[in-house]
Amino acid sequence: MIEFAEVSKRYPNGQEALKKVNFILGDGEMAFLTGHSGAGKSTLLKLICLMERATSGQVIVNGKNLNKTSRRKIPQVRRDIGMIFQDHRLLFDRSVFDNVALPLMIAGYPHREIGRRVRAALDKVGLLSKEKHSPIMLSGGEQQRVGIARAVVNKPPLLLADEPTGNLDPELSSEIMHLFEQFNQVGVSLLIASHDLSLIAQMHYRTLVMKEGRLVQDQIDEEQVEEVEYE
Amino acid sequence: MSSDQLTGASLSQGATIGARLRMLGRLHKIEAKRGIRDIFSNPISNLMTVLVIAIALALPAGLQILLDNGKSLSQSWDGASRISLYLKTDLEQSQLEQIANQVRTQDGVTKVDIINQQQALDDFKQSSGFADAIAQLDSNPLPPVLVVQPASTHNSPEASETMLVEFQTIPEVELAKLDLDWVRKLYAMLQLAEKAASALGLALALAVLLIVGNTIRLSVQNRREEIEVVKLVGATDAFIRRPFLYTGFWYGLLSGVTCWLILTFSLAWLKDPVANLAGLYQSQFQLSGLSLLQSLQLLLVSCGLGLLGSWLSVGRHIRQIEPR
Repeated sequence: MIEFAEVSKRYPNGQEALKKVNFILGDGEMAFLTGHSGAGKSTLLKLICLMERATSGQVIVNGKNLNKTSRRKIPQVRRDIGMIFQDHRLLFDRSVFDNVALPLMIAGYPHREIGRRVRAALDKVGLLSKEKHSPIMLSGGEQQRVGIARAVVNKPPLLLADEPTGNLDPELSSEIMHLFEQFNQVGVSLLIASHDLSLIAQMHYRTLVMKEGRLVQDQIDEEQVEEVEYE
Repeated sequence: MSSDQLTGASLSQGATIGARLRMLGRLHKIEAKRGIRDIFSNPISNLMTVLVIAIALALPAGLQILLDNGKSLSQSWDGASRISLYLKTDLEQSQLEQIANQVRTQDGVTKVDIINQQQALDDFKQSSGFADAIAQLDSNPLPPVLVVQPASTHNSPEASETMLVEFQTIPEVELAKLDLDWVRKLYAMLQLAEKAASALGLALALAVLLIVGNTIRLSVQNRREEIEVVKLVGATDAFIRRPFLYTGFWYGLLSGVTCWLILTFSLAWLKDPVANLAGLYQSQFQLSGLSLLQSLQLLLVSCGLGLLGSWLSVGRHIRQIEPR
């Protein structure tokens, strides 16, 4: 689903955010991406959804070589990726329903199908009763779930989440993680950036650890992860 | 969650082309509404923009209307450049008739009208507003006039000139005057004014483009966050551009309608004075306003300028906004 080969990213200000990163995330695989802030987690996610481009190396997502993707083709790539953000990035001038419907409207789905799919997605995250609310009226956890509904509404094969539980208390966080597991069970690939190590430790999934732009660890053993983090 | 989770995003299955087109129509309706809501969300400053555009349109359009009127006026006189023969004041009515007949027999004359002294005075009284002052006069100071209408074969400036010289030789004629002179001058001035109006129109069209472009630029900046989000969920530039194009279109339409109102009211306001002035020249001339075709042209141009201005602006500015 995602393949990084010798990927480096140097920003115009000279900062080297990624240094020769290699990894493969298989179809239907779920993995965490962790590391201190500034280790390059966000940059790695940005390369996958073409918010940034690699300075060298190859990024292949969903069979598409992103190095060769022209600016015009970027929307097509993003439609196959559901993105979830720490700050939710909802539009506050429209209802929950309209927020979730956005990807479908952009992709030109017929009206009736939009209604059906949006309600299915909202039902999945437990917010069907709040479709007419404004996101402003919702709690942080609910806003995050609206963001998740928006990310999955067009059934993308890949979900990216950048600190999805960053602002949530532990109980809400594990609720959200449980949702992610459910998506994974029906075949969706997920890459979740998080520095919530205790949460990651509970989950027993593959974990990619980053440090100063390098991928320093790639395994499922959560105790070793903690070792690296706190050495 | 069903197992068709894996089918991916690009296309929804089973959607007919008809359903997709209907959705496209629905989207356009939503965005058109959003565009107009955008304008009315900040009514004072945005309607001021509309007014500025309307005035910028009204100047060249109004000038064009006046020129059209001027042209039709000069054309109706151009075809019948008249020669006025001012006669000596001590002639009897019978003598007037005699001279008129003499002139009538001349080559190239179609019609001769006699305005005797009394008629001239009455006309003058009526039109000048000096009726009381004129009544005080002992004698009538106005000369009798023969108004000569040259045949269409003889109304070129040169032919009229030759006739004029001939009439001048009639002993009773004090002064022969060709009215064509000022018609020609008017015509030349109109041509000049028309060129100037075109230049002004072009300059103001450019100004309208800039005004709309700048307004749209601000609107794009105000919605920066929204643009970033829709780009992240896979919106194409065309999708992002659409509501702004609608806003530009609405600016054009509202400005066009406002401009039309300005012109129509201005013309209505000018109508009476113009009719009065025309009356002074014994003319049935009436100020003609915007025809249906001209009104449509005006709206078409204003909508086109609004659309073009926003299109030129929005493409450039949404490119600069990339999600971070």
